[in-house]
Amino acid sequence: MIEFRNVTKKYDTGTVAVQNANFIIEKGEFAFLVGASGSGKSTLIKLILKEEEPTSGNIIINKKDTTFLKPKRIPFLRRSMGVVFQDFRLLPDKTVYDNVAYAMYIVRATPRHIRRQVPMVLSLVGLSGKAQMYPHELSGGEQQRVALARALVNNPSMLIADEPTGNLDPETAWDIMNLLNDINMRGTTVVVATHAKDVVDEMKKRVIQINKGTIVRDDRKGGYDFEV
Amino acid sequence: MIEKVGMTLKYNRLGYLIGEGFSNVFKNKKSTIASLVIMCATMIIFGISYAISENVNNFVAKMEADQGIQVFVNRDASEETIKKVGDEIKKINGVSNVEYKSKEQALDQMKQMLEDQQELLAGYEDNNFFPASYVVTFTDLSMNKQIQEEISKIDNIESIQKNDPVSEALVNIAKGIKIVTTVILVLLIMISIFIISNTIKLTVHVRRREISIMKYVGATNNFIRWPFIVEGMIIGIFAGVISIGLIGCGYVGIANALSKMELMQKMNFSLMNFSEMFSSIVIVYLLLGIGIGTVGSIISMRKYLKV
Repeated sequence: MIEFRNVTKKYDTGTVAVQNANFIIEKGEFAFLVGASGSGKSTLIKLILKEEEPTSGNIIINKKDTTFLKPKRIPFLRRSMGVVFQDFRLLPDKTVYDNVAYAMYIVRATPRHIRRQVPMVLSLVGLSGKAQMYPHELSGGEQQRVALARALVNNPSMLIADEPTGNLDPETAWDIMNLLNDINMRGTTVVVATHAKDVVDEMKKRVIQINKGTIVRDDRKGGYDFEV
Repeated sequence: MIEKVGMTLKYNRLGYLIGEGFSNVFKNKKSTIASLVIMCATMIIFGISYAISENVNNFVAKMEADQGIQVFVNRDASEETIKKVGDEIKKINGVSNVEYKSKEQALDQMKQMLEDQQELLAGYEDNNFFPASYVVTFTDLSMNKQIQEEISKIDNIESIQKNDPVSEALVNIAKGIKIVTTVILVLLIMISIFIISNTIKLTVHVRRREISIMKYVGATNNFIRWPFIVEGMIIGIFAGVISIGLIGCGYVGIANALSKMELMQKMNFSLMNFSEMFSSIVIVYLLLGIGIGTVGSIISMRKYLKV
């Protein structure tokens, strides 16, 4: 599903953000990417999204090497994965419904399909009653649920979350993590970059730890561990 | 069946993109008004230059048409031949009027011109060497060359004289004005594209976050770009409509005021009717508005689509 082969990313500034990373995340897996801020987590996510190009090495997504993907094809790669960010990234002047429907317009879904699918994902994330509200009228947790609904509406094979609970209080954070777990149970591959230690410890999922750009640990059922 | 589904999809998508463009126009009121004002200003200056250049052209054309050309018939041609030549000239397509000037009239005219030096022409009454001629005016000045060629093919023609030096100088001045106004027009178009693209750049900059979100969700560049292009086009069309209204009112007002002035009446000068320029100015304005809006949006978006 997602495979990194000897991936190194060196920024123009000279910083080596990722050093010779190798890992495979299989279909249907739930994996945490952990590490202190500045460790290279975000760069790993950006590499998966092809927002950044690796300096060397190959990244294979859905059995396709994305290294030589033409810029024109990037939108289509991104459609195969749902993305969620720490700052939610919702369109402020669109309602909850339209924020989610927007992702479907892009993939040229029929109006009928949109009318059927959007309420379904909104109920999945528990926001059925708030479809006509605007993002600023929602709490942080609710906004992240909208972002999740948007990420899921096109049935992507994988969900990438970059610090999805970074802006949320612990209780809300747990709700979101449980939701991510539910989504994983339904067969979607989930990759979560986080430094929420207690969540990682509790959930007993695969943990890939990165420190100063190097992958230092890849544990099948790990916990968060700063001391290496 | 498959094709039908495809069509409804396409229609829906197009409708969505145009709808987005429209709602952007009204959502971003400040930048819409800014673009509108700048575009109107350039278009009005454009309109003024255009009106001046059209009127100069028109004036020159009228002058040239009034002037016509003078066709001299061979000196030794008989009355009959002279008449035949006149008939043949009349037959040529595009000739508006043919005026006969006899040998005697030519001599009289020369006498008048020489005023107190009549002795130079003494004795010519009996031996008039001035040729008879026809003053030919055209319905369409653009056919000038073609008609002259056809006239020169007629037998018994000695020479064709074009406009006198004074009017030729006037025509040259008019040509100069035409070149200057053309240069101004080109400069204005470039300046307005630059200003509009900067205004749109501002809008795009304000909405760069939105654009990056669209890119993360998997929107293609075209999908993101089109609402902005539609927005630019709509603003362009609005600016065109407003400018044409203002230019029209101003022009008619000036034309009326001029027509009442004595000097202008004496010079037999009047501005063209606005309706004569209306269709061309509408087309120019719409093309300009849509063109500037579109090019401006495309230029200004390039940077922000690289996510």
